[in-house]
Amino acid sequence: MNEPIDTGTTVLMVGNPNVGKSALFNRLTGANAVVSNYPGTTVDYTEGTLIEAHRTCTIIDVPGTYSLTPRDAAEEVAVRLLGEYPGAVVLLVLDATRIERGLYLALEVIERGVPCIIALNMTDAAHDKHISVDAAEMERVLGIPVIETTAISGEGVKQLAGMIRNAKAADISAISGRLNGDGAAEEMVALRSGCSGCGVCGR
Amino acid sequence: MQRLRGVRPVKLTTNERWDLVDAIAERTVTVGTYRQTIGDILGELTVKPATGIPVAVAVLYAFWSIFGSFAGTLVTDGFMVRLFDDHWLPWLQAAWPGPDSLLYYLAVGDPLAETCFEAFGMLTSGLFVAIGVVLPAVLIFYLMMTLLEDSGYLPRLAVLMDTVLHRIGLHGYAIIPAILGLGCNVPAVTATRILETRKQRFMMMTLLAIFIPCGAQLGVMRDVIPDLVGPVMLYLICGFGIFGFVLDRIIPGENPEILIDVPPYHWPAWENVARKLWTRTKGFLKEAVPFVLFGVLLVNLLYLAGVIGALADLFEPLFVTWFGVPKETVGPLIAAFLRKDLAVAQLSTIAMTPYQMITSVVLISIYFPCVATFVMMLREGWKQMLAAVGVLFAVVFVYGGLIHAAGILMGVA
Repeated sequence: MNEPIDTGTTVLMVGNPNVGKSALFNRLTGANAVVSNYPGTTVDYTEGTLIEAHRTCTIIDVPGTYSLTPRDAAEEVAVRLLGEYPGAVVLLVLDATRIERGLYLALEVIERGVPCIIALNMTDAAHDKHISVDAAEMERVLGIPVIETTAISGEGVKQLAGMIRNAKAADISAISGRLNGDGAAEEMVALRSGCSGCGVCGR
Repeated sequence: MQRLRGVRPVKLTTNERWDLVDAIAERTVTVGTYRQTIGDILGELTVKPATGIPVAVAVLYAFWSIFGSFAGTLVTDGFMVRLFDDHWLPWLQAAWPGPDSLLYYLAVGDPLAETCFEAFGMLTSGLFVAIGVVLPAVLIFYLMMTLLEDSGYLPRLAVLMDTVLHRIGLHGYAIIPAILGLGCNVPAVTATRILETRKQRFMMMTLLAIFIPCGAQLGVMRDVIPDLVGPVMLYLICGFGIFGFVLDRIIPGENPEILIDVPPYHWPAWENVARKLWTRTKGFLKEAVPFVLFGVLLVNLLYLAGVIGALADLFEPLFVTWFGVPKETVGPLIAAFLRKDLAVAQLSTIAMTPYQMITSVVLISIYFPCVATFVMMLREGWKQMLAAVGVLFAVVFVYGGLIHAAGILMGVA
């Protein structure tokens, strides 16, 4: 009765090197992936299990990569994993202090038409550097959930775990439409369950 | 979590993608005025050669002296040696029945031995090497390495080493597997994946297996031949350079330039440090301790069966005339395949000149990597592993002869 139900979902954690994927992975799964402060710590993948709201899914900590055109053997592992799990949800981990290069990889993954969710990690470091990233706006523009996290302290991790099941595939043309303020593409998808689109929260 | 209907995969060009990135970033990111922090200033100072090189020397020196004074002087000499030699060994020699029995020979070893190094039984030398010498060495090594990793110093060291390593066809980032290898070669072999080309990965893996002594071996070396560690390391570093240079010329392939992403300095989170230290030490206890005990057992059995004697006779001309070391070193060389730390400990009990000792310890270091490293190399590809073994034989033969020749020229061999 109390046995959690396996949803059979696989979540791939994808992001640039040294953005805190392994730290987040440890937070989500309680595993012991090695975490260090240099790019390229994870060169092989680690699998773990996330139990959230009585359901479990498999999470894979993928080696960091700058793009889907592999540059070294660790990046090849990342690209290979994306190919091996075509039905997987992709948890895109972005470093809030270096958003652009993270977005580049995020778009490459979004283009594949797979369901994605974004963890905007290192928000503490971004705050210290006086960089602010509007997560709500990013969520609106991209049409996929964006959650702010600080993996090292665990902030936002619970919320992220709860939102994984709301991962969405996004349409690139709709994204550019929303960026250009195109009214037709502006119709909003209710990303968060329970939201009826009343407009109060600005979404 | 099903796919949204109607989302088809698309493929943007690089430029289109960057345009989109810019547009999104412009909408969502606001950058306030940024003031330089102490961390940034330190970050700058530790990568600029003029200030960075002295800092690197200081860091590495501190690393080595803390390693030596904590693991060697404090824990091993101050505590473990007394515990094992004054209490454990005499008690075991008295309590274990039948000094002439086979079991006594395997478990306790020499009934007249006065130190755990000389006894060479599974429960005497085996346990002492594993728990008394290697465990403290590995523990302190991993603690310091974790601090270097988590603070963000390693990539800065990589930037500094770039010019030097480029001479031998690698680049600065190769320093990371090299430093990991000083702890244990096993994770270091996997870490070579951060190098780009097959050539670089092969070179690094081979040089790593041959010239980088692991933490266990360093710990034993510091304990049994403290005065000779310097020359041994010097020979290993020279060998790394010489054979790196040669391999770079022989092996076809590219050495591309890279951009290194240097992260900002962080205070290591103690939770993460503790967790990593535990994971790594646990890994050591699980893998190395059984190997050391098993290694002692196997070597003892091989001695009993006369295999080592026969091999020693067979290789005597090579060892005595070509390398200039006593023929007794053949036994430790066979043990080295199981554990190099064990082999160094065994060498320390053989009578020879200091230069012969240096030569044989260097030979042990560059001789076969331990079994666990072999398995890791095999995982990266069997062809590469075979090639690495070929290189290894050539290097042992050539470099061993060179060291002997250098000794003759200096008049010490």
